[in-house]
Amino acid sequence: MNKYSNAVLRGALTACAGLSLLPSVVRAEDMSFSWSGFAQLTAAKVLSGSNNTYAQWQCPCTIQNWEYVGVYEKWRGWQADQESLIGLQGTLKFNDRFSATAQVLSRPNNDNYKPSIDWAYVSYNLNDSWTLQAGRKRIPLYYYSDFLYIGTAYPWVRPAPDVYGWPIYAYDGANVAYSGSVFGGWTLDANIWAGSFDFKNSPYDTQIYYGGVPTQERWRDIVGAYATLSNGEWSGRVMVMNFKNDQITHNLDGSLTTNLDGYNTTIMGLSLNYDGRNNVIVRSELNQFKQSVSGSKYDYYLLGVGYKLSDWTAMYTISHYKATSNAPYVEGRKTQSVALRYDLNKNWALKAQYDDSKDETNQPFFGNSKLLSFSVQTSF
Amino acid sequence: MSRFPPSLRGLGVVLLGLCFGATASAGNLVVVAGASSPAPKLNTEQVSAIFMGTSKTFPNGEKAVPVDQAVGSPVYAQFYNQVAGRSESQIKAYWSRMIFTGKGTPPQDAGDAAAVKKLLAANPNLVGYIDASQLDGSVKVLAEIK
Repeated sequence: MNKYSNAVLRGALTACAGLSLLPSVVRAEDMSFSWSGFAQLTAAKVLSGSNNTYAQWQCPCTIQNWEYVGVYEKWRGWQADQESLIGLQGTLKFNDRFSATAQVLSRPNNDNYKPSIDWAYVSYNLNDSWTLQAGRKRIPLYYYSDFLYIGTAYPWVRPAPDVYGWPIYAYDGANVAYSGSVFGGWTLDANIWAGSFDFKNSPYDTQIYYGGVPTQERWRDIVGAYATLSNGEWSGRVMVMNFKNDQITHNLDGSLTTNLDGYNTTIMGLSLNYDGRNNVIVRSELNQFKQSVSGSKYDYYLLGVGYKLSDWTAMYTISHYKATSNAPYVEGRKTQSVALRYDLNKNWALKAQYDDSKDETNQPFFGNSKLLSFSVQTSF
Repeated sequence: MSRFPPSLRGLGVVLLGLCFGATASAGNLVVVAGASSPAPKLNTEQVSAIFMGTSKTFPNGEKAVPVDQAVGSPVYAQFYNQVAGRSESQIKAYWSRMIFTGKGTPPQDAGDAAAVKKLLAANPNLVGYIDASQLDGSVKVLAEIK
C-alpha cells in the first residue's frame, strides 16, 4: 500500500510540477494554461447483509461503483480503497475560441492507481452559444454522468449506483453544444454527440458478469442528444441515445463467444430537479435501457428529497432498478439512503451516508446490505 | 414576552442586535460597467444569467464579460446570495460541474472594488459589481441589487 501511495504521490507531484511549469513555456500572446482538480477520500463499511459469495466477493457486500467496480465486503471492515480518487484537469487555451482539455484520474482500485484518461478533447466556440468539441468525453447520459466523480457538485457520497452503472461511460467522437437564454429567466443547455467506444476487459463485464474471463465490449454508431431547461430553481432534462452493442468473451481454449452482435440499443432518460430558495432540494431521474434481439430492458429511477440549512444538507433518497431479458434471469435492487453533507468551506465537503439495499435478483448476486460511508470531497 | 425568562429575553436582544448588525455592515451592491460602455440597464435575472455564464451578451446584443470580486470576500458572498440565491459553496459546486464537463469557466477574479473599476474603465464589454458607496464617475450603474 505504501509503495503505491508513494508512487501516486510522486506521480501527482510530477504532474503538478509539469503543469505549473507549462504556463511559462506556452505563454505566447493569446495562449494561457489553467488547471483544476478534484479528489475524494471515501471510507465505508458493510454493517450487515446476506451471507453468500458472488464472483470474487465474500458477502455481506455491496457494489457502490459499477464502472470500475467498487465493492465493499463486510469481512474487510473499513475500506478506503474502493471509491477514493484524484483527478487533474488541464486546459490549454490557444485563443478566445480554441482550447484543448485533458483529464486524468487515478484510483487505488483501478490497477493500483494506474491513471486513466476519461477526457481529452479540443473545443472550438463557433459563437457565444454554439461550441464544437472532438475527442474523448464522458457520455452525458444521465444528469450526473459526466460529473459523476465531482463530489462537491452533489449532495450524496455518490449518485445512486442503482442508476449509474454501465460498462462504457466515455465515447470517442464529436459533439456540438448549445447554451443560451431562451425566454424569461430560462436557459437551455443542449448537446448532440456521436462516436464509439471499444473497451477490452472493462471491469464491469470481466469482473462482475464473466468471472474474470477476458471480455471486449463495444458501443458503436452512438448518436445521442440531451436538452436541459433551467431557471435557477427548476431544471428539467431529457436525453435519448441510440447505439449498436457488441460484446465478446475470449474463452480459455482461444475461441471467441459473441454475446451481443451489434444489437440496436436505446437509452432514454428524464430528470427533474429543484433547488429552491426555500432550501428544499428535489432530485429525480427516470431512465430506461432497451435492446433488440437480446430483449434486455432495464428500468431504473431515483427520487431524493432534501433540505439545506446553512452549511448542512440532508437528503433522503430511494432508488431502484430492474433488468429483464429474453433469458429467465431477472436482476434488480432497491435502495434507501440518508445522506448528510457539511460544507467545510467553498472547496471542501464532508459527507456521511447510510444505505439500506435489498437485492431483487432471482439468482445469487451481491445480496442485501447495509452500508455506512464517510467521504471527504474537494474540488480545486 | 413575559412568558420568556429574563435570560432568554436578553439572548433575543443579542440575536436581534447581531442580525441588524450584519445587515447594517453589508451595504447595497450595484452592478456596473465602464462609464463609456453602451451596456443597457439589467434586471436581476439578466445579471444572474451573465454571471452564471448562461448568457454571453447584454440584452442589446453586445458581448458581456463578467468580472468577480475576490472569491471568498464578503462582497462576493453577498452578491451571489442576492442575485442567484446561492451560497459560496453552491456557486463553487456549480462552477466545478461546468469546468469538469467542458461547459464553461467562472468569471475572472478581479480583486477588490478599485481593481474592478479599473478593469471596467478599460473595456466596455466588462461588467462587475461593487458596493454602492464605491461608486464614482468611472463607472455607470446597470442594476441595483436588493
